[in-house]
This record gives sequence, structure tokens and C-alpha cells, in this order.
Amino acid sequence: MNASHDAMLDDVAVYALGTMSAADAQRVREHLRDCAECRAEYEALAPAAASLALAAEDAAAVPSELMKSRIMREVRREAAPAADPPIRRARPWAAYLVAAACLAFAVYSSLVNLSLERQLKQVQTASTGVSDTTVADLTNPSAQRFPVNGGVIVRVHDRLYLAMHDMPKPPQGKVYQAWTLPKGSKKMAPSVTFVPNASGGAVVALPVDARITTAVAVSVEPVGGSLQPTSKPVLVEQFG
Amino acid sequence: MELDAGDLIAKVRARDADAFEALYDAYHRLVYGVAMRMLGDASAAQDVTQSVFLKVWSSPDLFRSGNFSAWIVRVTRNRALDVLRSRNAHPEVELPEALPETDAIEDVAFARLDAAAVRNALDDLPPEQRQPIELGFFGGITHDEIARRTGIPLGTIKTRIRTGLRKLRSSLEGAVNA
Repeated sequence: MNASHDAMLDDVAVYALGTMSAADAQRVREHLRDCAECRAEYEALAPAAASLALAAEDAAAVPSELMKSRIMREVRREAAPAADPPIRRARPWAAYLVAAACLAFAVYSSLVNLSLERQLKQVQTASTGVSDTTVADLTNPSAQRFPVNGGVIVRVHDRLYLAMHDMPKPPQGKVYQAWTLPKGSKKMAPSVTFVPNASGGAVVALPVDARITTAVAVSVEPVGGSLQPTSKPVLVEQFG
Repeated sequence: MELDAGDLIAKVRARDADAFEALYDAYHRLVYGVAMRMLGDASAAQDVTQSVFLKVWSSPDLFRSGNFSAWIVRVTRNRALDVLRSRNAHPEVELPEALPETDAIEDVAFARLDAAAVRNALDDLPPEQRQPIELGFFGGITHDEIARRTGIPLGTIKTRIRTGLRKLRSSLEGAVNA
């Protein structure tokens, strides 16, 4: 092999990495058509180069749910009608029921201060388990289900539930807090705080009238809850 | 993940929003990860991610065949390169978004590896090989620019990229066969 062809093999590697200018890349492409040795080198190196993208994938680094919500709003506006039924198909409920049955459903009733307590009192549930009514509602075949990333929002008559799985444990001193948007309002109202169980499951009965609630959000807040969100929501779903 | 992508994209062509959402759920970490790594800025990475997925929705025919992961990574890298250009970094790299001859090759890469295996293989490379590979792939700059920035002769940079990719391939083969 001569030195000039060895240099071409180096060029093939750079081409496989995708770091050539358009003009250089064209030159290599033309050479690859006629040179079996360089084609073999390219076929050997291209998978390694392509796999580099996987190194950037980080399970902990994800775009915000708000962005997904924006994208899906635009997509569903343009989608074929059949692809966007008002009541979406039910998903398997076994996981949620298992989660519900053994749920250490923790709704924080202790509040940081009395002022906050007064304002949040009406929306704080003190439940420590999942009631029969909740289980019946979650499995009700006529319930409206709105899938969200990592769970589902369920509307049954005037009742509204958030059922989540695989939620990461909130940081020390923090809890998840739900927010709801009443019809006609532009401001999310604070709702219950909660932490998922050890398996990352949570079933939350939202203390609102589902018939006049148009959106649900969840954010990470200090223990006791907040009157205004203090972090980007991890989930936003508009369904009304 | 790859098994369903062709089916999902066919449904996206028929304007099926649920299929699009399934694609988003399967690939948003990969897209955001690549954008984040190239731009180092969460806000810009989110903009790129949004732009990539809206492109998938608006122009699903741009993906013709082959490996969806490989294609969406190319689209993501090109969008991120646009951002880098707008920052006056002037990257000259152009990535064709359809390279049929590479599809079968990239199928292998994406179908059989995971992020940890690739990161481990990269970490095993000597720094003088890892640096130009990472600069080229994630920095969006050409090998000429890498040589200029590092002060290392162009021929040496090319040889290090080739040697590094060969070692990477060897390590990844070990990971797949392990």
C-alpha cells in the first residue's frame, strides 16, 4: 500500500466520523465507489462512529414535560381526526392496581406555616390509602383517560385522579405537588402534595370538580407545598 | 426500539398523533442528549429537540428507509450545527440526512449497543485519540479546524481519528459479544 492510499484510508475514517467539509466529503464518496479496500474500511468504522451518539444519551437529562406538551398540542391540532379521539383508549391497569393495592400513598398534611396551611387546607387530602371508590373509578370502563408521560390522568364524572408509575424519588426536603386549572381561569391553583411509594407509584385523588377542571400539572416543591410553582413542571396535561 | 420505528413513521405519515407521541417517547432522550452535548445549553438543546420532532411530524417523508435512530441523530446534529453557526462558530460540516449506504451499518450500531457501553469504550481511548473524535462528532468542527485549534498536524489528527475509531470498534465488538 502506498503512502497516498494510506492517507486516503485516514480520510475515510474522518468521513465516517462526519467531520468533513461538504467538498472533502464528496471527494471521499467518489473514491469509495471505486475502491473496495476503502469501502471495507468505511464499513468497519462507520458503526463505531454512529454509535458515538449513544454516549450522549443520558437517562437523567430530559427535556421538560412542558415542551412535550407544546409539541403534542401542535401535533394533535393537525392530526387526522381518527388519531385523536376525545376519549383515548384504555391502557392496561394491572400496574396501577398493583401500585394502588400496596401503596404507601403519602399526602403531606403538615404544612410549613399556618398561613400556608389555611390556604391549602381545602385542597389537602389526608388519605393514607387508596379507597374502594378510587379503585372502582380507576377501573371504570367508561372513565376518560388522558395518558401522560409516566402515567395517566383519569376523569370519572366529577372526580379526577392522577396515577403515576416510575416516578423518581423527590430530592431531600421536596415533594411533588399537583396543580389544577379551573375552567375560565388562567392561573393554576395549588393542589395536593404527594410522594411516590418505593416503587415510584402514586395514585392521587385530586380534590377538584373534574367537570370544571381543564388542566393538571405537577412540579417539585418544598415539603408542605407552595402557593406558586417554584420549579418547572415535570408534567402538564391540558384536557378540557 | 428500532423494531417499531418504521411502523410508527408510516402511521405518522397518515397523521397519527399517537404514533408520533410513541416516537417522541422512544427517541427524545437520544435527541436531547446529542443536542445538549453539542450545545452545552439546556435551553438551546430543548429548542433543537422541539425543532427536530416538529420536523418529523411535518416532513415524515424525509425519512425514507433504514435506521430511524441514525437518521434522527443526523437531523439533530444538523440542527445543532445551525445553532453553532448562528453563534459564529462557523462549523463547515454538512451531514447528509439520507445516506442509504450507511443504513445497514448503523442498524448494527444502534440495535446492539447502549449508552454505558459506548461511554466505557470512549473512556478507554487514549486522550489524544478521544479528543479529536469527540471534538469532531459533538463539537461540529472539521478535522482541519481541530488541527488548527490543537496545533497538531492535520495528518496526525486524521490518523488519530482512524486509530481511535478502530479501537472503539474493537471495544464495542467486545461489549456486544460479552
